[in-house]
Amino acid sequence: MQNNTMQIIAVGKKRRRGCGRRFEWAGWIALACLALALATPRLRAEELPAERAVVQILTSTQVPVYDAPWRFRSVQQMSGTGFVIEGGRILTNAHVIAWAKQILVRRYQDPRLLPARVVFAGHDCDLALLEVIDPKELAAVKPLEFGELPEVRSTVVTAGYPAGGDQMSFTRGVVSRIEVQPYAHPGNRALLAVQTDAAINPGNSGGPVIQDDKVVGVAFQGIPGLQNAGFFIPTEVIRHFLDDVKDGRYDGIPMAGVSICDLQNPAYRRFLGLADDGRGARVDFLRAGGTAERVLKPDDVLLEANGYVVGSDSLVLYKGNRVSVTVLFQQPQAGGKLHLKIWRDHAPLEVDLPMEAYDGDRLAGHQYDEPPRYYIYGGLVFTSLSANYLDSAGQSAADESAQLVYELHHRQVEDPASARPEPVVLAGVLPNAVNADFGIRGRALVNRINGVRIERLEDVKRALLGQKGERHLFEFWGPKHGPMEAMDRAAAEAANADILRTYGIVSAERL
Amino acid sequence: MNFLAQFFGNRCRTAALVLAACIVGFAPVAAQAQPMLKTAPDWTRSLVNVEITFKAYDAFQPWNNPTLSVRKHGLVVAPGEVLTTAQYLPTHTLVRLQKGGRGRWYDARVKWWDAQSNLALLTTEEPAFWTGLEAAPLMATVPPGPEFNLVRWREGNLENRKVEFSRFVVSEGTVGFAPQMVLEVGTDIGGRLGWAEIVERDGRVAGLTTYGSSRLCGVMPASFIRRVLEAHRADRFPGLGYFDFTWQPGSNPALVAELGLAGAPRGAVVHSPGSKNGKEGKGLHAGDILLEIGGFEIDSEGDYLDPDYGHLQLENLATRTSFAGDTLPMKILRGGKEQKLDYVIPRAEFTDETVPRELFGAPPTYVVTGGLVFQPLAQPFLRGWGDEWRKNAPFRLQYYQYADPADERKSLVVLSGVLPDAINVGYQEAGMLVVDRVNGRTVATLAELVAALAEPKDGVNRFEFMKGRGLQRMLLDAADLDAATKRVVEHYGIPAASRL
Repeated sequence: MQNNTMQIIAVGKKRRRGCGRRFEWAGWIALACLALALATPRLRAEELPAERAVVQILTSTQVPVYDAPWRFRSVQQMSGTGFVIEGGRILTNAHVIAWAKQILVRRYQDPRLLPARVVFAGHDCDLALLEVIDPKELAAVKPLEFGELPEVRSTVVTAGYPAGGDQMSFTRGVVSRIEVQPYAHPGNRALLAVQTDAAINPGNSGGPVIQDDKVVGVAFQGIPGLQNAGFFIPTEVIRHFLDDVKDGRYDGIPMAGVSICDLQNPAYRRFLGLADDGRGARVDFLRAGGTAERVLKPDDVLLEANGYVVGSDSLVLYKGNRVSVTVLFQQPQAGGKLHLKIWRDHAPLEVDLPMEAYDGDRLAGHQYDEPPRYYIYGGLVFTSLSANYLDSAGQSAADESAQLVYELHHRQVEDPASARPEPVVLAGVLPNAVNADFGIRGRALVNRINGVRIERLEDVKRALLGQKGERHLFEFWGPKHGPMEAMDRAAAEAANADILRTYGIVSAERL
Repeated sequence: MNFLAQFFGNRCRTAALVLAACIVGFAPVAAQAQPMLKTAPDWTRSLVNVEITFKAYDAFQPWNNPTLSVRKHGLVVAPGEVLTTAQYLPTHTLVRLQKGGRGRWYDARVKWWDAQSNLALLTTEEPAFWTGLEAAPLMATVPPGPEFNLVRWREGNLENRKVEFSRFVVSEGTVGFAPQMVLEVGTDIGGRLGWAEIVERDGRVAGLTTYGSSRLCGVMPASFIRRVLEAHRADRFPGLGYFDFTWQPGSNPALVAELGLAGAPRGAVVHSPGSKNGKEGKGLHAGDILLEIGGFEIDSEGDYLDPDYGHLQLENLATRTSFAGDTLPMKILRGGKEQKLDYVIPRAEFTDETVPRELFGAPPTYVVTGGLVFQPLAQPFLRGWGDEWRKNAPFRLQYYQYADPADERKSLVVLSGVLPDAINVGYQEAGMLVVDRVNGRTVATLAELVAALAEPKDGVNRFEFMKGRGLQRMLLDAADLDAATKRVVEHYGIPAASRL
């Protein structure tokens, strides 16, 4: 069987340590010219008006170790691109600033590094808004304006700081196609994206894609092995993000919890009383607890969404492009509504679908900026089961434990009643006499402790601290069965502080 | 295929092996005593080549039955009987025997095979084959080393190489899942082993290889083979059994103390009691500590001390001297009190698994209806993703392997793909969906699927799939279904719309 899954990567750039060839003799010449450049702020004749608004973003990032959740990996230097927008803020990709401990901004032809901070990060749409600590620094920069969704075959120009040099780089290309694509940064979201053959390389991330002097997108990802194909986030998604944060809070792209499928089979159409006119997509599945469940039913047919006619291929003609109808579901803000014309029981019906942001699958996607929660007791390290944890523990963890993969990615959909809001995993054991005989050494899903069903990490702490008996009893969870272990309570309590000291752990918990 | 390369290598060499064989009477299977043979054994008289042509399984087109051939070894163990491993025999179309490592192949017949024990007996009606052959003596007890010889036919010549004793281990069988003790030997013989080569010492067969790499080789001990053969010949072989409960070592003092055991840790802790002996709570319970099985004390590692083979995992007691249906006395600790329990060993049967490891006994079954291709969800289907199927086959299909056979659904049917036709327009990319219901009826087998298809409602056949991330429902026109199936079968060159 051919595996058609493509690997999509965000295109932030890893920086070399040190200054590299910046201090080679050629660099001195550039520095010598700098004063002149600063003194003559007029644009050169060949400069794009956008050039001065485009900045390089240099970050020092530190990612936590999810299977040793009190630790962080070594600091890495990364770089990306951003650009100044209305209000003196800088728009970039969320993956450029994810896990950043320090953010520095380098302006066009300015040798100084300006400290900046994240104002909002929308990891689900891979966009972030920054501001430099001293807002006066960008006061004179003319912000870039946003355009509309570009037309397929039209020409766009990217500006950014990709790998291969230190200066700003421009590439030109045509818009190849516009459709819904998986966003690599969140890992479990697919939103509208534009493909172009303009080169988008590591370091371009967050940079503007320009057409007619207006920003029509933010460069963000590529697909290894696919030549001349880069992707940028269109202004539909950008405006949604910017509107979302206007109230001072980022809610996220709404997800109503409806699975829509094609309705092209003649028998199915006849059964539902629909003509063979290529109109209408079928509601196949509704997520338990989602807003769609309140309004829609399986086998409802979407005829129109927000005025757009829905085809039997689940696509709508959106600004000249046939794109998935899900694009329209992603346009309202959380708390808003999507007007739908549907077909139910052989008759048309109009409904308003309430929209809300959904984070019930956050553990199954990639998480950023919030260090993992954990609780350590008797050397047993408990943490949340998450995609980050599985990535951190390596492929072997997923291979070894089908239960971890099932719990993370399938139970919520298949059997929501038995799903736990935060499955807890024993990530590892810090060796000590008190746990030397503990047979389970990690990568095990926790079912019950002292008879308490573990729904979230707080339950672990509650079950352990509430135990009055001589021992703690731990029941783990496997696909068919779960092993059990026990630990002497008094010995564990006596050893807790020593274990933390021995392994240099500042706190026994992050809850 | 690697195994083809191994056996179809340089077999056309012209050098002849001169056999100084003389016709001797067949010896009975080895006696209990194991005196060293006075003369060096002539393995050319008992070790033969076996060629098996068998039907392979095309997971994505189950109506195709490509045939493959393998060659392995056989051992003459009685007049008119060649012993070999059962692997590849269940779907054989042709079996042939060759003696002396070269020359004529004799058509053979499978007298008996058993997948769980991985043993088979072959014979041929051609007297000329048996001329010059004699039964090889099988050890009653296999001694723990230090050295054995591995004997095999290689390009027409007998190869006899030293192998070193490594250990006795207990594991699932190569074909089935009933536990077996295995003699592991270390070897520097290159290439893949496990083709029923014999391992011998002092002229007596210690066992047949069942798996092997260039460094380690698993050998089915002669003692086990003898016991199964004797029972089979006496028509007293009910099949191998297994322990349907799962357990863990009782080595954590805190755990066994919590479960009521006083003193030093011993025994194994049951964490899933199984269902075969557990009716009305009479069997094992989760949290029981197994102290003795069949009179053998169980230590805190879950091992017992075998009088012949040392410390072995308790699973071996299911097959050590017992067969399916036998009763094993157990001593357990429950709630701090010792209790006695009689455990009836359940028969190891592939059909007891929701996703069976093997589907022997019949050609692969399937149903093609309106271009939708349905098959039983079984491991042979998952193995269609190749040697790395555990990585490459769809995770969710694989995960059904862990499902306990529920009373109402002991097996599963999967929509493996769609053969495009006018009737199934819109579903052409569907596949790898496990069937829940058809026309409102729960479906666990292809027969149930066919029966449900006879009852369409409102002019359509309604297919519902298990809740999950895939498509949930399909409808097919009922009036056109038979005609469409006929079209599909003809268009795609399928011999029959179904094989049940």
